[in-house]
Amino acid sequence: MEVKIYTTPTCPWCKKAKAFLKENKVAYKEIDVSNDDAASKEMIKVSGQMSVPVVSVDGTVIIGFDEEKLRKALKL
Amino acid sequence: MGVLKKGVSPAAASVETSVSSKVILEPRRKFDYTPDASVFYDIAIIGAGVAGLAAAMYAGRLGLKVLVIGELQGGTITLTKSIENYPGFISVEGGELGRLMENHAKDYDVDILSGRVEKIQLHRGGKKKHFAVLSGDKKFFSKTLIVATGTEVRKLGVPGEKEFENKGVSYCALCDGPLFKGKVIGVVGGSDSAVKEALLLSEYGKKVYIIYRGKAVRPERQNMLRLNEKIKEGKIEVINDTNIVEIKGDAVIGSVVFDREYKGSKEFALGGLFVYIGSLPLNKLVKGLRVKLNDKGEIVINGNSETNIRGLYAAGDITDSEWKQAITGVAEGVKAAYYGYQYVGEGVGVLPLRKAKKKVVKK
Repeated sequence: MEVKIYTTPTCPWCKKAKAFLKENKVAYKEIDVSNDDAASKEMIKVSGQMSVPVVSVDGTVIIGFDEEKLRKALKL
Repeated sequence: MGVLKKGVSPAAASVETSVSSKVILEPRRKFDYTPDASVFYDIAIIGAGVAGLAAAMYAGRLGLKVLVIGELQGGTITLTKSIENYPGFISVEGGELGRLMENHAKDYDVDILSGRVEKIQLHRGGKKKHFAVLSGDKKFFSKTLIVATGTEVRKLGVPGEKEFENKGVSYCALCDGPLFKGKVIGVVGGSDSAVKEALLLSEYGKKVYIIYRGKAVRPERQNMLRLNEKIKEGKIEVINDTNIVEIKGDAVIGSVVFDREYKGSKEFALGGLFVYIGSLPLNKLVKGLRVKLNDKGEIVINGNSETNIRGLYAAGDITDSEWKQAITGVAEGVKAAYYGYQYVGEGVGVLPLRKAKKKVVKK
């Protein structure tokens, strides 16, 4: 399973989402979009959103920290 | 120490050394913070913002059995970049202040649940009573309750706002600001918060326009000085006497429509819009309890953070205190904890433990 999380360093819900992934022992790749224009464009492209966090689980995109949707996508 | 030279910032370096030697910032002891539905709590606190965490810390100090339930540890303050009006901290990140307050609460044996409260019940038996708090599939019982649920952002309520939410329309500059690099950004509102957000966004955007319905924006003096600097630099411009009536765009926001002409047109091109027009009290949970609310929907408290229902307290942004700051919310929180402690000590207003325990067992 490939899990990516797009974040900015200051966003509290990003921290919460990462804590949730860690708690559930999900390995993930964090992409900080604050200093990476290519990454921020990629995030806007995959999610259609200009807001963080965005979590992608094998291509399934979850906007914000939505515990229910995350559990479903991660089959927890 | 000589005279400070212009451009020299002594703060950062000196803080670090003095903090590490004289101030304790991490819990000295660790407890099992897991909530236990079979415990009859002395105080249940709804909301884990600074008011709720301060109440938890104090109730913990007083030796009460404490439960805190909240969705976001640290609460709204974590959405603010820098706090410069909390005594003892000349400047501190909101998220850090929230974390430190959680640490402080965790220095005591308090139970913390990260989650949403769906319902609060008040069980009465004659003059005695207790509260039940429902969260997920769990039900907790408590002798007293502190409501510190805070507020949610007020939305503009214009066509296009919902459609472009998170597609250029945002309510959190600290979260989403970096995504708006090089763009022309609008900020709606004229309060101190709105100006603070505009100042933060001017670090990212090409230019920030503050759009305000009133005659003149009204930030605190320090932020007014900063705003004037930015206006001089041409990074921020204020458009007064103007309302936004519509938000337009394609895949993302493209423009807004004003209720009057500005520079010859009602339509104004924007690459992002941040809305800071105040907040609404999160009072839904208490609406069934006959707690006295004011006309804004805020919980009416007295100087002891007591509501019209004995054993029920409120603290922080949810209360009818006109001036709301972290420091005032924290003060209300610790007062709620202290007067809750006295009330629990009286033992008169509380349904017998046995009865409550039986209920838990039954469940």
